[in-house]
Amino acid sequence: MIYKNIGKKIQMAREEAGLSQEELASRLGYTQAALSNYELGKRRLYLANIEQIAKELNKLLSYFLDESVVTLNAEQGAPRDETTSEILKLLSELPAEEKEYLLEYIKWRRDRLR
Amino acid sequence: MIGFDLNEDQLRYQKMARTFAEEEMKPYAAELDRRQDRTFDWGIVRRFAKANLLGLNVPQAYGGLGVDHLTAAVVSEELAAACLGISGSVCGTWLATCCLSLVGNEDQKKRYLPLVCGENAKLAGLAVTEPEAGADMAGIRTLATRKGDHYILNGTKTFITNAGLGRFYVVFATIDPRKRDGGLNAFVVDGDEKGLRLGAIEDTMGLRATQTGELIFENLEVPAENLLGVENTGFLIAMQTLDIARPCMGANAVGVARSAFEVALFYARERKQYGRPIIENQAISFMLTDMATQIESARLLTWKASWLIDQGTDSAMASSMCKVFATEMAERVCNRAIEILGGRGYTRKWPLEKYLRDVKALQIYEGTNQIQRIIISSML
Repeated sequence: MIYKNIGKKIQMAREEAGLSQEELASRLGYTQAALSNYELGKRRLYLANIEQIAKELNKLLSYFLDESVVTLNAEQGAPRDETTSEILKLLSELPAEEKEYLLEYIKWRRDRLR
Repeated sequence: MIGFDLNEDQLRYQKMARTFAEEEMKPYAAELDRRQDRTFDWGIVRRFAKANLLGLNVPQAYGGLGVDHLTAAVVSEELAAACLGISGSVCGTWLATCCLSLVGNEDQKKRYLPLVCGENAKLAGLAVTEPEAGADMAGIRTLATRKGDHYILNGTKTFITNAGLGRFYVVFATIDPRKRDGGLNAFVVDGDEKGLRLGAIEDTMGLRATQTGELIFENLEVPAENLLGVENTGFLIAMQTLDIARPCMGANAVGVARSAFEVALFYARERKQYGRPIIENQAISFMLTDMATQIESARLLTWKASWLIDQGTDSAMASSMCKVFATEMAERVCNRAIEILGGRGYTRKWPLEKYLRDVKALQIYEGTNQIQRIIISSML
């Protein structure tokens, strides 16, 4: 279960970086088949693997590991509400261009409310 | 191709463990189970140390036997067949060394793993459970506060195998309870550290040779270099450790069930009613048949889960399945065995009631069977 979730995030981060499985695998010194198995959650991922992948994809380790429903707001030190947490969780799964599109949409909604 | 034969090495370990269990465990099992006081018998540790069995899963480079997970399961079955209570102290140590081998850095492994190996081996333990955090591990409240090059630990751990006996413990604590699983961290803590004390020792239904109790941390200082893995990765470390150690639970259950079955089979062949052995009644022989079939099924599932771990593949589903099936099978087998012995099975002259009391614990600790079912159902 845990490996499947981490694997999905590896795939997301890899696609976000615009890399194919072959490209990322060769940078990490894995075979493409091994990376594919990690992304599908079929192989056991050791902490050292996740660290290496996080470094290569320029992500924080917590991006792959955090499963919390309650995410901490760094500035306020208070838990975010569920809707914001859900939005942020879903947002992190989207590719960059989708995020740009959503940003436009949110700005449009904000302007309409003014 | 597929094969179910153990290799030469595994057979050698199986034979060694069987002899050890017969000679060094079985003679003490009943006595340690019945005593009323809860003073731990250090003879257990001395005997296991002599055979280096506390270091079973510790890599040879650090003084252990360095066996793979399948071999560890084979050995576990043999030890549990003699006494699950006595083998409990060993399994508690293996949990800690399994975790340390998995994520410890070279320095941590060099400092701690040799302590459970060789003739002077000591016990160790894994401390996860708390009064308010059992199944919900992310609810751990033992607090780790960073202060310079140390962490300060405060909190209480409960139901810890080898509590008060360990040379060291792997302890899970949070840097901020609001972060839930994202704030968990694993530390290696020396057993004689100031600020660590033994709380209440549990008076348990079974596993009476093992010492299980509370560990209390009061401003305990842990050097930052004793943090395992990377900061805030404790949740993954705990899940991985339990996942990998889980087939040993299955193997333990198979061992106890096997012993119960052997007692029942022996008795059914000897006991005569209506002028013939009771095994000649299908009501009895079918019970024995079902017991044998279920033991064999549980063993195969346990071996498969262990084999998957050795292959480096995700073993979560098979690990959980083997724990659920084997531990519930073992309770059924012990109950049936008691029925076959009738009134005698219910007495303490025979070991069956002890097997039943011991085996119940396997359904509860290291992730209840209900939690295992949640894991399995999420992967269906």
